[in-house]
Amino acid sequence: MEDNYKGSVKERSFDAIVIGSGMSGGWAAKEFTEKGLKTLVLERGRDVKHIKDYPTANKFPYEFEHRGEMPLDIKKANPIINRCYAFREDAAHFFVKDSEHPYIEEKPFDWIRGYQVGGKSLMWAKATQRWSDFDYEGPARDGFAVDWPIREKDMAPWYSHVEKFAGIAGNRDGLKQLPDGEFLPAFPLNVVEDYFKKQLIQKYEHRHVISERVAHLSKPNPIHYEQGRAQCMSRNLCHRGCPLGGYFSSNSSTLPWAEKTGNMTLRPFSVVHSVIYDEQKGKATGVRVIDTNSKEVIEYYAKVIFVNAGALNSNLLLLNSTSHRFPNGLGNDNGLMGKFVAFHNYSARLSAEIDGFKEFTTIGRNPAGGGYMPRFRNLFKQETNFLRGYAAGFNAYRSSHSDTSGVGADLKKRLAKPEVGPWKIGSHMMGETIPKETNMVSLDQTRKDDFDMPLLKISVVFDENDEKMRQDYFDQFTEMLTNTGFKNIKTQTSSQNPGSDIHEMGGIRMGHDPKTSLLNKWNQLHVCKNVYVTDGACMTSTSTQNPSLTYMALTARAVDHAFAELKRGEL
Amino acid sequence: MKRRSAIRDLILIAGGITILPSFQNKPGKASLALKNMDISADQEKLLAEIASTIIPKTATPGAKELGSHLFALKMLDDCYEKEDQQIFLTGLKALDEVTKKRFQRSFMRCTPAQREKILLSVENKETFPPEVFSFYEIMKAKTLQGYMTSKYVVLNITKYEIIPSVPYNGYYRVKNLNVNGRQL
Repeated sequence: MEDNYKGSVKERSFDAIVIGSGMSGGWAAKEFTEKGLKTLVLERGRDVKHIKDYPTANKFPYEFEHRGEMPLDIKKANPIINRCYAFREDAAHFFVKDSEHPYIEEKPFDWIRGYQVGGKSLMWAKATQRWSDFDYEGPARDGFAVDWPIREKDMAPWYSHVEKFAGIAGNRDGLKQLPDGEFLPAFPLNVVEDYFKKQLIQKYEHRHVISERVAHLSKPNPIHYEQGRAQCMSRNLCHRGCPLGGYFSSNSSTLPWAEKTGNMTLRPFSVVHSVIYDEQKGKATGVRVIDTNSKEVIEYYAKVIFVNAGALNSNLLLLNSTSHRFPNGLGNDNGLMGKFVAFHNYSARLSAEIDGFKEFTTIGRNPAGGGYMPRFRNLFKQETNFLRGYAAGFNAYRSSHSDTSGVGADLKKRLAKPEVGPWKIGSHMMGETIPKETNMVSLDQTRKDDFDMPLLKISVVFDENDEKMRQDYFDQFTEMLTNTGFKNIKTQTSSQNPGSDIHEMGGIRMGHDPKTSLLNKWNQLHVCKNVYVTDGACMTSTSTQNPSLTYMALTARAVDHAFAELKRGEL
Repeated sequence: MKRRSAIRDLILIAGGITILPSFQNKPGKASLALKNMDISADQEKLLAEIASTIIPKTATPGAKELGSHLFALKMLDDCYEKEDQQIFLTGLKALDEVTKKRFQRSFMRCTPAQREKILLSVENKETFPPEVFSFYEIMKAKTLQGYMTSKYVVLNITKYEIIPSVPYNGYYRVKNLNVNGRQL
């Protein structure tokens, strides 16, 4: 009944469909295929094969025509992506250019995207921290958003599950606010980071500097070798793609694993237009895909559908999945889909210097980048005039510097022998933002993209809570640094737009009550149970931790649930 | 054979910049392909000598030998505003004029000592037309960047490694560093 190109209905039917191949989609693919389910993984962008498709991975600095800098015409044509720190000559090919996929900024929002197999898991910063009940209980305690339907105890086994496979380097720090996990050896702090850590323990309560926990194979286990990955060699060129598989990405880890089972069909160049809802059956039956090369519309069918398109695109896709039963988007009976979007407040950083420690320096490179300070503000009780708090990066380094004045042989000599300068530190704030109904995304009624998808309108802004928090970060760090002997403290407010943190979350939040949330505690749409959303869109609140590890754990947990439900004939 | 290796060497020393050997090019034109700027062979030679004055050839190659002036032009052509490109060229011309005024000869005909002197006077902000300073600021920064990131310097002097030969150590003793700031 169908033409050969599309294949028969049978050929287009699977047990599970996963929309998206990034951080969480890769996990859904791995978990489903390992359980023996025939799984179709849809990716809107091109394929990126591990190692083969990392064209810049082994390049020396002189092999980049502009030494990393993007040419001016590209910068000017792409002001949004150009504001992303990693949009440089060595990794620009993994980022979406502004003009390729337009959206509507009702308020300035830098939507940073990676449309390819592996998504942003190729270029992520790899920081991986668990959430504790200080995070999951946040909305309930402090009276915002809705209560999370899950707690640390629900997530702990799934965090363990994904940590063991992905490989996370870290110390067991024994902090209640940042639960320990299944760690490979940590990358150590340096002399000045350690000094600050010890000083804080002496002078403050509940303020800790720990080695940043990162998804790097500091010492691989057999499970990592089995994935074809090798030890991280501290190249620190991760965003180009790592030929060793030294850090976790879908491309190096979950997708090849899924591939090996023989149960995965990976289809790149496939924009999902909408999820198909069958009113008679009362559930979703498949998806409508637009082939980005042929522009043809093709339907695929499955018993269960996982939406992992990336937080805002998952919103777009479900809002666009309309039917007689769901005129406002699939599962959107309460009209809250697209609302309560939140992000992380990265708008503050600072630098300082310290005398002493002159006999020490660092050699080699630290993939963890240095220290991490878990949230200490409003942790055990509300103590400030703003809600929630912030984590912070803290890294120390010894700058080396050549006097570049003058010309001639003397200058040349100085360039070859840089002087080791004083110890300096850098820190940046990672603040929780409060989800609000007015921070939202919606579909434009008239404008569409090349694939007939409505353009996404984004209206997300900082608020007064964010500003108070930023000031508190400046005040607290200035005080801590002054009290511990640092000088020349310089604070810097970054005027960056929301979105440039690349931690956008929410819009299809989890909760107990179908009246006030879209997803239940298993990430199922309350009113269409065979559709699960397990990427950033599901987040009820943001906490301060880098979110990817939580997406991975939620995904593995949700697949486990879906598999059990399928077996019981419930989906 | 000789010709081929000469071409290869040219491409090698410029480190990543595509250079057309000048004999394949129109006479009077610069040796590298530029998109936005029009540079003559004479201007290119002058820039090479300025680069060579900033970082001269000693026991090791200098900025001219490593093609840093060509890197500067490439950067200027692709990464700078049109106004900067224009002021760079006006400043280059003005520099040659002030050199003539001071030494009664063009920069190309100056002795190495005179060349150093005139560049140092610019660096020390003696009285010159403003475009001379604009030119020099870009030229020096890009010459230094081109030199420091050239293949020769990266491999032989700063010895950048794709895979560090030492593991990360946050308590390394400074006294164990060698002259290049690396582990002994």
